[in-house]
Amino acid sequence: MQNFINEFTLNFIDDNRYQYIIEGFINTLIISLFAVLVGIAIGFLVAIIRSSHDKTGHMKAGNFLCRIYLTVMRGTPTMIQLLIIYYVIFATVNIPKVFVAVVAFGLNSGAYVAEIVRSGIMSVDEGQFEAGRSLGLNYRQTMQFIIMPQAFKNVLPALGNEFIVLLKETSISGYIGLTDLTHGGDIIRGITFSAFMPLIAVALIYLLLVTGLSWCVSKLERRLRVNER
Amino acid sequence: MSGNVLLEVKELRKDFGDHSVLKGISTQISQGEVVAIIGPSGCGKSTFLRSLNLLETPTGGSVVFEGNEITAPGTDVNKIRQKIGMVFQQFNLFANLTIQDNITLAPVKLGLMDKEEAQKRAKELLERVGLPDKADAYPAMLSGGQKQRIAIARSLAMNPDVMLFDEPTSALDPEMVGEVLGLMKELAADGMTMVVVTHEMGFAREVATRVMFIDEGVICEENAPQEFFQNPKNQRLKDFLSKVL
Repeated sequence: MQNFINEFTLNFIDDNRYQYIIEGFINTLIISLFAVLVGIAIGFLVAIIRSSHDKTGHMKAGNFLCRIYLTVMRGTPTMIQLLIIYYVIFATVNIPKVFVAVVAFGLNSGAYVAEIVRSGIMSVDEGQFEAGRSLGLNYRQTMQFIIMPQAFKNVLPALGNEFIVLLKETSISGYIGLTDLTHGGDIIRGITFSAFMPLIAVALIYLLLVTGLSWCVSKLERRLRVNER
Repeated sequence: MSGNVLLEVKELRKDFGDHSVLKGISTQISQGEVVAIIGPSGCGKSTFLRSLNLLETPTGGSVVFEGNEITAPGTDVNKIRQKIGMVFQQFNLFANLTIQDNITLAPVKLGLMDKEEAQKRAKELLERVGLPDKADAYPAMLSGGQKQRIAIARSLAMNPDVMLFDEPTSALDPEMVGEVLGLMKELAADGMTMVVVTHEMGFAREVATRVMFIDEGVICEENAPQEFFQNPKNQRLKDFLSKVL
């Protein structure tokens, strides 16, 4: 027991080392939150362009660009994308690393969100679409009021899963020298040469974050399911 | 019974790739008519009905609705569809909306009524279809027959000039067919112009003013119901009737 307390004090209390964890926690939270928002925005846009193309045959150029985007984002490792955005694209400009990470993770997540949302749009029965159009609603109105709300509900579990993956994926932010939660714990390990305490602490915090996120998603799911009794 | 010509169909054709479903259909539908369309499955009767509000785009011929050629390029299809109600085999009530919102969505979003007016109208329509207590329910909570009556109410909310029914009772349990047909009968009695694709020969005989037999993409025979059923002339119609009656 005394040993445990000594270890704890060494890793977190001495020299206020817990602040590495705090800083990392805040950065991880900021990156995840904004990357999710960017990912949702991009994902819905791409999904709507792609499914509109499939349904109407319009927007050929848009669909083509979207497919390139999807191929690149899903076909290369997230870490390489992060490194390219930091060391190549933003190499000559001085931009906060957190911003770089938000851009990288947001762009990456958008590709996955896009395909999830597109599968949701396709899962809504064609009859719903026809009923909307037969009443005189135009394409956009039918999508907005009838198809998208149902698609969103259908894909919520998959979206929740994607956000969990994204949150954990931010743990590679250390590769551009950003102190995220993982990197913060690693800094402590480098100073104290003890692995157990900082790594377990970091793991527990991720676990708590993901548990909280899952709870929020399932609460939203239940609320959206009122029309299914 | 019949007044002005509401729908005029000329040489309507529809091909799916090499497969020709409609091979030149011409007919007229006048105000107040109730036209029942019968025929074997796969004969093109649903495709014909769906061509009338352009849910299917015809590959040839024309459809004229109230003097406007709706098959002409540049026609505002959405505007036309506001006046052509449609009721589907699978009901297609909007699963994400309450019954009341199902009925009020289109009139409100299309700017035809304000919200209050539309809700008042929805209430009247729910009374009319005999489901006044279902305004706040969701479609998943209703039986098939109830769903179809709501679908009819949703169509009526747009005050259409003609209503298309695509096998409205084919997905219903037998004991629910009657309630839907009863409602359609009332509509017909009120003078609604209706085009009904159906397998209900009783309905065609009693309610329709004209019965149309479509087979292999053409109208083989059309006539007043009495003559149509008692004295069919077309051989394929005779065969068909001998199987279904």
